[in-house]
Amino acid sequence: MSITLFILRRLGLGIITLFILSLIVFFAAQVLPGDPARAILGPLAAPSAVKALSHQLGTDKPVLSQYGTWVGHIVQGNFGTSYSYQQAVGPLLGKALVKSLELATLAFVIVVPLGIGGGVVAALNYGKPIDRILSVFGLTATVIPELVSSIVLILVFGLWLNILPISASGGSGFGGTIYHLILPAIPLVLVLFGYIEQMARAGTVEALNSDYARTATLKGLPRGVVIRRHVLRNSLLPTITVIATQTGYLIGGLVVVETIFHWNGIGTLLLNAATKKDFPMLEACVLVIGAIYVLATLVADTTFSLLNPRIRYRGVE
Amino acid sequence: MGIDDRKLDALRSERTELENHYIDELVAGRLDRRSFLRRGAVLGMSASVMGAVLAACGSANKTGGSATQAGGSSSSSTSSAAATKGGTLKLAAETPATAINPLIVDDAGGLCMLAQTGEFLTLDNNLKTQLEPSLATSWKPNGNGTVWTFKLRSGVKFHNGQPMTADDVVYTFQQLADPKNASNALSTFQGVLKPTGVVKVDSGTVAFHLEAANGNFPYLVSSDNYNAIIVPKGTDFAKWGKTMIGTGAFKLSSFATNQGAQFTANTSYWGGAPNLDGTAFTFYGSQQPQILALQGSSVDVIVQFVPSGAQALLTNAGQYSIIKLKSSNHRELSMRNDQTPFTDPRVRQAIAYSLDRPAMVQALLQGYGEVGNDSPFAPSFPSTNTSVPQRTQNIAKAKQLLQAAGHSSFTTSLATEQYEEIPQLATVIQEAASKIGVKINLKVETQSQYYGKATFGNSDWLDATMSLVDYGSRGVPNVFLSSPLETGGPWNAAHFNNKTYDKLVAQYVAAVDLQVQRQIAGKIETLLLQETPLVIPYFIDGLTASTPKVTGLNPTSTGQIFLQDASISA
Repeated sequence: MSITLFILRRLGLGIITLFILSLIVFFAAQVLPGDPARAILGPLAAPSAVKALSHQLGTDKPVLSQYGTWVGHIVQGNFGTSYSYQQAVGPLLGKALVKSLELATLAFVIVVPLGIGGGVVAALNYGKPIDRILSVFGLTATVIPELVSSIVLILVFGLWLNILPISASGGSGFGGTIYHLILPAIPLVLVLFGYIEQMARAGTVEALNSDYARTATLKGLPRGVVIRRHVLRNSLLPTITVIATQTGYLIGGLVVVETIFHWNGIGTLLLNAATKKDFPMLEACVLVIGAIYVLATLVADTTFSLLNPRIRYRGVE
Repeated sequence: MGIDDRKLDALRSERTELENHYIDELVAGRLDRRSFLRRGAVLGMSASVMGAVLAACGSANKTGGSATQAGGSSSSSTSSAAATKGGTLKLAAETPATAINPLIVDDAGGLCMLAQTGEFLTLDNNLKTQLEPSLATSWKPNGNGTVWTFKLRSGVKFHNGQPMTADDVVYTFQQLADPKNASNALSTFQGVLKPTGVVKVDSGTVAFHLEAANGNFPYLVSSDNYNAIIVPKGTDFAKWGKTMIGTGAFKLSSFATNQGAQFTANTSYWGGAPNLDGTAFTFYGSQQPQILALQGSSVDVIVQFVPSGAQALLTNAGQYSIIKLKSSNHRELSMRNDQTPFTDPRVRQAIAYSLDRPAMVQALLQGYGEVGNDSPFAPSFPSTNTSVPQRTQNIAKAKQLLQAAGHSSFTTSLATEQYEEIPQLATVIQEAASKIGVKINLKVETQSQYYGKATFGNSDWLDATMSLVDYGSRGVPNVFLSSPLETGGPWNAAHFNNKTYDKLVAQYVAAVDLQVQRQIAGKIETLLLQETPLVIPYFIDGLTASTPKVTGLNPTSTGQIFLQDASISA
């Protein structure tokens, strides 16, 4: 199978995945208590007002008919109108997505080299104090809730030392945006560092102990060449998968960090949509995050298959 | 200083029977100066007439200077005499939960936005604890309080230049009171006002013909009823948020959903141009980032916050100005009066006696609240009858009551919501009940789970054996007395069914006279203590914070903030 066919097949499967996802979210949301009109008007609103709003929103129609209308819009590239905000979903979602991508990109740019570097250094010093220190630090950082690390960072760098802005949204221009995003990116780096470092470490340790690495060393190749040409190329394959699977978390799962640092990303939008039973917004957020997952996994698999042809051909064996 | 009978008689000749009754009460000393001002305002007596009456009664030197701060407020004057001109005030507010639609808004962030550009017929000024004229300059009831007539302010223009007239007021209230509309104001107007009851008398006068007598109607068209901002006739409410055209001191400059809003000064405002050039609101999803933003100087004001989690502001005296407003914001612990063991009032009383209310106010509200007496009559309401004894903790009596009822120990469950300090309050109630042998299993749910469909049979709020819920602040207790406690009331989670109570509430709502209201309030408070269908442990103060360089803020306990007198020094 050529790489193009491989990608096309995966994209097709991705679309089916997103369709099933939309079905699950739509019907799962139906069993949640309450209804959209009640969620918008509040628990104390008069029943007649709730009825009138349900009619305006179209949520008094049968569930299948609502889903059909929604799918009809989606096929035409229209995400519909948000129940809560009474605005087109597309532009609201677009702005939030850009913000989420900005923060996620910065976090990745910091954590990927740090994590891989840390893992390789730990593996090369396997069993030594530096390995222990890196592993313990990585695991500890991973389990610190973002809420705690965020507050501590704000108190230390934002209020006591007063060297970094505590609100992520105040920056303008490329430099200004990055400056304002440094503090919110650190809790994400702390959470992800441990995962990536551990994967890179395990992969490197395994590669270092492999027959081909031993052969290369016995052939008399210098240690640096063995590590660069033989160890790293093989050891980083699982790490790429881990990084890809964290993309979804970085785009859609940052409600706490977004809230504390006042950064209106897609995570907050998704949470609000779920709370308010704002189906058009909820579906659109889930689909976009789902599509990002699908794409990230595809990129990881493609990279993986390019580096490891056995994966590419598994489908036809 | 004595009473000037000649002046007083001259003033009396032009007053209605009810107004003269209040003057009698004042002269006889049964009404203090403040109560006279408050009730006079509700009846539509102008400030100049009330000032003249007080002057004739020998209180001239005290008039016109009513408190610029709430009781116990630690700072922030409303005076703008020496206010700095210019500048943009930066405020932190809750993110509006929905589109800014005057009909449907129901959340703190949304109603705060409505009041930035919109105005009401009357203003419930929480700082002065007084109802004041706003777009209406005066108002009068008919003899029995079934028709209220409002004179509108002349020369008021909407932000689009169009003059405000009776047609706009009639349109606004007909839309708000129409059961066919998705109007949140229906929870206030149901059984009170129908669209056909809103009648234009002339271009500057509107009459409200009510379904039943209502002595507190001017509060129902005040800032208390936050949906009731006056909009131009023919306004499409769904699109109002794009322009936010009102009559207020500030005009919409820009609005970014979920992010913030900017307003510029309305230089042709009827009350004179505001001190500020403009205001900039930033929206926040929760309280903690707002506090951090104030600490980090990203904002100058937090529109509204709760004591829980705000120690950084409350304990740094001097660093921040805190405005404290007495409010009727409270929690209700209802017990199913129709389910054993709570069918016996002694069991319900026992639960109420197990609570140490002053300790709760201290621990859960950092002291920013007042103890409740198991009735919705908050200390902030002028009609509250304070002669009814306060219920205090009495474990021995509680055990005795349980024993007498034949339920010396039992297990029950309590459903409640994840909201502010409520989960902690539920735990405190659980611990208190355990001291009298009652084991309570807690069920703390998200708000959407807890409220469900908000109808009987579809809501833990209304169906649970014990249910702990929040109620926001109101200027008068009418809604608190009816919906959660009247037989068949839509929020009657206690399933309380008491014909005597229903009759008393009907009498209270119809009463126009304050003394009569207080008298009936006393009977209602006593009946509720005897029956204890629900427990109201405390009332929570409304809190606003700013840096000391900000003056002239006028917040309400509902979550609005009026900024026409606000200023910020460099």
